[in-house]
Amino acid sequence: MIKINDDAWKTMVAHAEAKFPNECCGAMIGRIDDGAKHVTRAEPLENTYTGAQGARYELRPEDLLEADKKARAAGLDLIGIFHSHPDCDAYFSKTDLENSCPWYSFVVLSVKGGKFDHANSFLPNADQTAAEKEELIWPKS
Amino acid sequence: MAKVLIPTPLRQFADQHDHVDLSGATVGEVLTALTAMFPDLRKQLFNDEGKMRSFVNVYLNDEDIRYLKKDATAVASGDTLSIVPSIAGGGTGVAPPSNSSAGVAAPPVSLSKEEILRYSRHLIMPEVGMEGQLKLKQAKVLMVGAGGLGAPLGLYLAAAGVGRVGIVDFDVVDFTNLQRQVIHGTKDVGRKKLDSAAETMQDINPYVQVDKFDTALSSENALEIIKDYDMVVDGTDNFPTRYLINDACVLLKKPNVYGSIFRFEGQATIFAYPGGPCYRCLYPEPPPPGLVPSCAEGGVLGILPGIIGLVQATDAVKLILGVGEPLIGRLMLYDALAMRFRELKLRRNPECPACGDHPTIIKLIDYQQFCGVPQQQEAAPVSKTQAGFESDTEIDVTALKARLDRGDKFQFVDVREPHEYQIASIPGAKLIPLGDLPKRLNELDPGVEVIAHCKVGGRSAKACDILRAGGFKKVKNVLGGINAWSDKVDPTVPKY
Repeated sequence: MIKINDDAWKTMVAHAEAKFPNECCGAMIGRIDDGAKHVTRAEPLENTYTGAQGARYELRPEDLLEADKKARAAGLDLIGIFHSHPDCDAYFSKTDLENSCPWYSFVVLSVKGGKFDHANSFLPNADQTAAEKEELIWPKS
Repeated sequence: MAKVLIPTPLRQFADQHDHVDLSGATVGEVLTALTAMFPDLRKQLFNDEGKMRSFVNVYLNDEDIRYLKKDATAVASGDTLSIVPSIAGGGTGVAPPSNSSAGVAAPPVSLSKEEILRYSRHLIMPEVGMEGQLKLKQAKVLMVGAGGLGAPLGLYLAAAGVGRVGIVDFDVVDFTNLQRQVIHGTKDVGRKKLDSAAETMQDINPYVQVDKFDTALSSENALEIIKDYDMVVDGTDNFPTRYLINDACVLLKKPNVYGSIFRFEGQATIFAYPGGPCYRCLYPEPPPPGLVPSCAEGGVLGILPGIIGLVQATDAVKLILGVGEPLIGRLMLYDALAMRFRELKLRRNPECPACGDHPTIIKLIDYQQFCGVPQQQEAAPVSKTQAGFESDTEIDVTALKARLDRGDKFQFVDVREPHEYQIASIPGAKLIPLGDLPKRLNELDPGVEVIAHCKVGGRSAKACDILRAGGFKKVKNVLGGINAWSDKVDPTVPKY
């Protein structure tokens, strides 16, 4: 289960809507207690994909390293990655799967016509052949 | 000793340590020490063959070891090693083809229960699957021409579930089309090809959106029309439009899935795929007007466009799915009589004016002029189309009829082929096929006027030039040929 708090969620949705019609991406930071993930902070990161970004994103590993360092410094952990699917459902695409990493939760936000629509979280396996859906709780308001 | 930072999710495999201090002279040695200490970590970082997993990056301090000496990068005491995943992804259909895969569209929305049933035979193939079918649904393909090649293209692209198909065509279905343009039926004769094709496609698959462009593609509208599509499939039959489509596709960086047909032979390839050759790399200049006969003049085996159009449809679908080896840089040649497929390699020409390293074609040009097509073919002056028109070089069929009826003295020559003569002929005409004319000039009297006709007027115009060059003074071309004769003089003469 991954639960996202109000602040973090607002940041994620605002970033996803601001980047529309391009894909956005970022890091989710928080704590893991008894297997339950609590995201308390979201950090928007630059989409560094060099082609059209309407359907692609890429994270710069250095940015992720930096986000991880900052999290550690604050006594928190990097626990997930989020990205958006503009005008597209929040599913885990083949491209997502083939460029994923099994260590993190992957939250996908569907943004339709510039407005947040729905979201899902996924846990990909190490071989990048399948991703399991993870229960995602976000503040509904 | 070097410090290895353990990312949060991996700590469960490392006794919950957030870092460990390990010794080793190189990165490889430190990692070996790490996985020796925590064997469960090994599976996370390396695959079964012992290679580092594709998503794993190792940083020595702030530098990626891939850009240093990889595993052999030296490690000094006090260095920090970090394990950082590389992450990317993406969701919808607007991404351009990436370097590794040719996929032009990617998954969107979802399929309804009805669509899942409809595409069942695709969905159970791993090469297509749900992902591929969604790519098809999200794909936008522009067909230029709803004729011989457009017919199979439209039928199969619709059936396959291509979400949006645009059609550019301004023509009307006539009886001579039905021998090969199987998207239209006998009931459609007289209707716009656009309407007939769209209706058939929507009957096959109501989930397809058909965009109708009731116009000729031109330098004025091509970029505007093409820009909304992922690719173009070229089903045209003339050189100006082929160059136009090519240049527009190169400018817009859209693949052009090309096909052409003549008599028993066809060709297909993909032009203007980024990095691949374009039509101008293969044909830098158009042939002189009239050198290459059209299907209307030379004929075409009705089945041929079926085969070539479906080669185009197959490669369009492959481009969308990002599977297999599309005909990029390969010209496929098909000979129906020999029943043989051959292939020629094509390369992008770095000097190409359109797709070369220093392109000079940076906007669309006048393609009629480029191909030397006389503008008057588009619309003859009104006077020429009037009944009874006759000039020093041309004669209308009704004027010809009047002169035949009066018993005027002239030599009347039919320059078509014998098999055409068998289909239909005008009484009184002497058959001398165009190709035989130069060596049979002695059968004609240069002192007497010659009037020449063919099917629609093109070949007889050439015959008139040959006659004039051969010393004949009075030579006239029958405007519109035997087809005009059938329209205006004698409807019992079959048109073909």
